[in-house]
Amino acid sequence: MTGYPPTTPRPTAPAAPSGPARSNTCAWCGTVTDGTPLSCPHCGASMDVRSTVTESGWTEAPGQHDMARIQFGNSTVQIEGAYVPVIDVNLTAQDSVYFPHHVLLWKEPQTKVTTMSLKGAWKRMMAGMPVVMTQAQGPGRIAFSRDAPGEMMALPIQPGHSVDVREHIFVVASGTTAYDWFQTNVWFTTKNGDETETHYPLGMYMDRFRAQNTPGLVIVHGAGNVFVRTLGPGESILVKPTAILFKDSTVQMQLHMETPKSNFGLLSFFTLRYMWLKLSGPGRVAVQSAFEPVEDDGRAITSTSPTTQSRW
Amino acid sequence: MSNMSNPPGPVPVSAAPVERIQCQWCQSMNEKTALSCRTCGAPLDIRNLVSESGWREAPRIKDMTEIHFANSTCQVEGEIVPVAEINLAQGDTVYFEHHVMLWKDPRVSMTVMQMPGGMKRALAGMPFLVSIAGGPGRVAFSRDATGELVILPLHPGMELDVREHAFLLASSHIAYSYIRIKGLRNILFGGQGMFMDRFVTSNVPGLLILHGYGNVFERTLKPGEIILIEPGAFLYKDSTVTMDVEMQQLTTGLFGGTAMSLAKMTGPGRVGIQSMYVHHNTE
Repeated sequence: MTGYPPTTPRPTAPAAPSGPARSNTCAWCGTVTDGTPLSCPHCGASMDVRSTVTESGWTEAPGQHDMARIQFGNSTVQIEGAYVPVIDVNLTAQDSVYFPHHVLLWKEPQTKVTTMSLKGAWKRMMAGMPVVMTQAQGPGRIAFSRDAPGEMMALPIQPGHSVDVREHIFVVASGTTAYDWFQTNVWFTTKNGDETETHYPLGMYMDRFRAQNTPGLVIVHGAGNVFVRTLGPGESILVKPTAILFKDSTVQMQLHMETPKSNFGLLSFFTLRYMWLKLSGPGRVAVQSAFEPVEDDGRAITSTSPTTQSRW
Repeated sequence: MSNMSNPPGPVPVSAAPVERIQCQWCQSMNEKTALSCRTCGAPLDIRNLVSESGWREAPRIKDMTEIHFANSTCQVEGEIVPVAEINLAQGDTVYFEHHVMLWKDPRVSMTVMQMPGGMKRALAGMPFLVSIAGGPGRVAFSRDATGELVILPLHPGMELDVREHAFLLASSHIAYSYIRIKGLRNILFGGQGMFMDRFVTSNVPGLLILHGYGNVFERTLKPGEIILIEPGAFLYKDSTVTMDVEMQQLTTGLFGGTAMSLAKMTGPGRVGIQSMYVHHNTE
């Protein structure tokens, strides 16, 4: 069997043990440990398995050992189950997490749950995003899960860095992570009679998580399997807009429309086109393998956000 | 409960000059050192899982397994919702329903297959445009549901009928058409819609990848052997297997009872089912 181990160079190969003491670097988040833990203490990735990279350069999300433990602040997170995993947070008195309320699975009575006010609630409501973000304050335990088979991915964020997450993907974030959102500026309009319809293949808004002075932690849920690749500066790839999970904020995105070659003379009223999201480096991008189709009624496009095109 | 045993089927060819292993899923010959089949990706170091009732589990393809067809390769990645990633060589093409594309290299060319009866298909709710991707370059496919990829290398002269929308992609060596499901009762109660995809190989082998919800099981029916299956669970069959509808009367005695329809499959040939399916209401 070829392909595993991969024959191409692995972009995130674990660094060889260096220095006098035994050490081990997490291939996923770069945390250096003393070589004893089987799971990374910051992101939960299995450290005793080699990272799996496809021949085309996608790294499969590392997966966690069932019951892997992650540390943030003075609190811990345990990831339980492999098919529809549960995030079990043990909060100490100093720490808090926030989450959209529908992901809550259970909590201990002493865990305090309050709502977090969000600026621009009206705009969020119009865009179909959760208006109320819920906050849980320790001490106590609280657990979260999403109702779909898939993978939970812990993304530790270093101070000064930020990641952009597609809407409805985020499960829970540590209180030390700043939350914001921005307009995706990926849209196109079609004309239906006298009405102009605006389509947002990626959603109107995207969540942005940023760590200021202390490291942050965001946990996202990918439906199906998750694959990540690091784009070099100027390198680009086309992905389905609904398949993207998260990206580094340094990765630029725009709409890309592709028209296949077709010989349908009579059926020219029906325009076939593929909507892609063109992602350009530098930075990481992640996709999920289960995704819903992009909504497109096939009507003539009247205007778009900045778009590139290719016709075959 | 599953039981490990060898399925009925061709006995591996012996007395060959070089020692080779025959894949129990697709019958291709592989080098003795291979861990998974070169043509269908089935693990060669794991014995077939056959239930006591005779259903054989479709081989669980190991993560990152590589499969060869024509001059191109396909890698199967992930295990919850697997991705089929194709590295197309110059001159090779694959076709698919366009909504299963996950990502692609910008240089992979796209065309649309011309299909007879486009309007009929559109009315039947089938994708009326089938897209073709041409090499060189990489393109990846996945479906939005938990399940398995079933890799069916089709030998020359094979004909296979597949549930509509279940096919993920096929190499262009395989001819694609569709058949109308015969019989009004089949259309009304069969739960299959009106059309089934039919894949036919000419004189070169081809690669066909299906996506089954949940787990996929297969059995080979002998001539005249019958099995009744829930219409929603039907995934594929050899075209030699005939499909009919059997109504089951469930009488309760008190209110006259109810009826449910099952698909009656009559051999000879293979029948494939999926374990997760849309349940059709009884009426």
